[in-house]
Amino acid sequence: MNKDTVGIVRANQQPDILKTLILCLPMIIMTLLMLSAGKLPTDPVRLTAFILTFCFINAIFFLMIRTGETDSWRSILFVIYAVCFVISFISHLIEDRGSMAISRADMIEGLTPFCHIVIPMTLIPAALTKTIIFPGTIIGAKHAIAGMFVLWIGSSLALGRGFCSWVCFFGGMDEGFSRLFKRARINNINPKWTYLPYAVLLVVVLASALTLAPFYCEWLCPFKTVTEYSAITSLKTSIQAIIFISLFIALVMVLPALTKRRIQCSLFCPMGAFQSFTNKINVFDVCVNPERCIKCNKCIQTCPTFSISEETIAQGKTATTCMKCGKCIDACKQKAVFYHVKGTPLIGGNVEIYRRLFIYPAFIFLATMSGGFVQDAIVRIVRLITTGSMY
Amino acid sequence: MACIATCAPVLIPYLLGEGKGIVRNYWVTCQFLFGRLLGYLLFAGLAWTISSTILQEVVLRNIIIGVAYILFSVLLIFYGFFMKNDDSCKAACNKNKYERLLAIFPALLPVAAGLATGLSFCPPFLLAFTGAAEQTSLVKSLLFFFSFFLGTSLLFVLAPFVGVLSRFSVLQIVGKMAAGIMGLYYLYSGSIMLIGGWKIL
Repeated sequence: MNKDTVGIVRANQQPDILKTLILCLPMIIMTLLMLSAGKLPTDPVRLTAFILTFCFINAIFFLMIRTGETDSWRSILFVIYAVCFVISFISHLIEDRGSMAISRADMIEGLTPFCHIVIPMTLIPAALTKTIIFPGTIIGAKHAIAGMFVLWIGSSLALGRGFCSWVCFFGGMDEGFSRLFKRARINNINPKWTYLPYAVLLVVVLASALTLAPFYCEWLCPFKTVTEYSAITSLKTSIQAIIFISLFIALVMVLPALTKRRIQCSLFCPMGAFQSFTNKINVFDVCVNPERCIKCNKCIQTCPTFSISEETIAQGKTATTCMKCGKCIDACKQKAVFYHVKGTPLIGGNVEIYRRLFIYPAFIFLATMSGGFVQDAIVRIVRLITTGSMY
Repeated sequence: MACIATCAPVLIPYLLGEGKGIVRNYWVTCQFLFGRLLGYLLFAGLAWTISSTILQEVVLRNIIIGVAYILFSVLLIFYGFFMKNDDSCKAACNKNKYERLLAIFPALLPVAAGLATGLSFCPPFLLAFTGAAEQTSLVKSLLFFFSFFLGTSLLFVLAPFVGVLSRFSVLQIVGKMAAGIMGLYYLYSGSIMLIGGWKIL
């Protein structure tokens, strides 16, 4: 056998059903513990939602192992996760406050749920003033600041920028829209726009330090449209609302649908830019074997985040912006693109083993994060159908 | 710190986008500070005339600053998103009128940036404005603001070193785009001030 084909697992070499089940067993146990939090729900609707979610998540993982494809299955759960997050989050907001809008009084009381996108903006003010510039609660409350920091640090160490494709509850939105059409309507995007997220990051970090307020949340976050926003009480808050809705329509809906790329995540999100640096300290990366590559450029065309180019292929790697979604890996019939563990041989290693080593931790994060929202969304939808109200 | 925090979002992206070396960056920072001084002296005059009527002062202030912000924001947006990179576009490139203007007056943007940030209302500035308004003559008011300018300018000594990072071409692109985004924010601020001044009128 040729040296560079050692360990390459092709479709017909995928594990049989029994071996697949054995490989899935750790995930079955982990998700059972994570989703049930140690005890099964007693309410029949919640129990049904739990069983459905548990089976669905494990079916996705089973298919990932069985077929050897990553992105095809990940994207299904990732998009459903984003939709369920919106359903669950909005219904909770309306149940608790009666509205998606947050009032000044709620902010003063620290009732604003903390989101990971704020993290880069809090660091400089925290160092200078020893305070977190966000109207949330540090510990104890739902969506508390400390909890999100711990989750972010853990997932960054485990996945690097894979966070954006496996953990982020917003990422599935533009990914969903990017998969609406079979073919891209817009193909030529100037590569210089891939630097825009870094410019947004620079501006929001400096402006947040200046105003001692999370500048991105106040002015630029498209996801305010589907989560919460400041109550519209003035010209300023009206303009902010218009900006949020316009950015959501443009960056999360229209442009991803037309380009088949994750435009918000790859061309605007400051957290994504910040997260790219964590790819440097993470043990996993996506590599290209130039010897196996037939230069079909399918990986370049399919990459949703502009992270592969002819230059990076020649260097045998992807750009630091790579979100490790696995789309290029699934698209490459030559198996020239593969998940890789840093420090192991690039040529001759068993790429399927590398892939499994990556998808275990990645999927645990995805299952843990999505499980709660999917269960809750199912309960809310069942309530809506049976009682006419989600609350 | 408040002075640095007010000016850094404009000055740092510009230095990243444009700076060529420490000496050149000091020159750019001086141009920026000159613009800032102009803004302060303009306010010194305004502070001295405060005795006329409060209403006129507010209207005048909103209109002057609003127009200055909008003009500056147009320059920043153009610089950030529409100006061609000098390295890839030598004399052979067809330059539009804004590019020609910035080519003839390269100091225009840093001076305008300094002027616009000099017109902003950071907390120490408001204190200085109150102090200057209490002066009995125009000269005293101008001297008061000049002293304020000298004191706060000391904080900019280290700023040019940030621009050294611009030798990485990627940071130049990022710096220019960041300047363009700040331009959009100043466009909003200027428009709101103009609307505010217009409403009072």
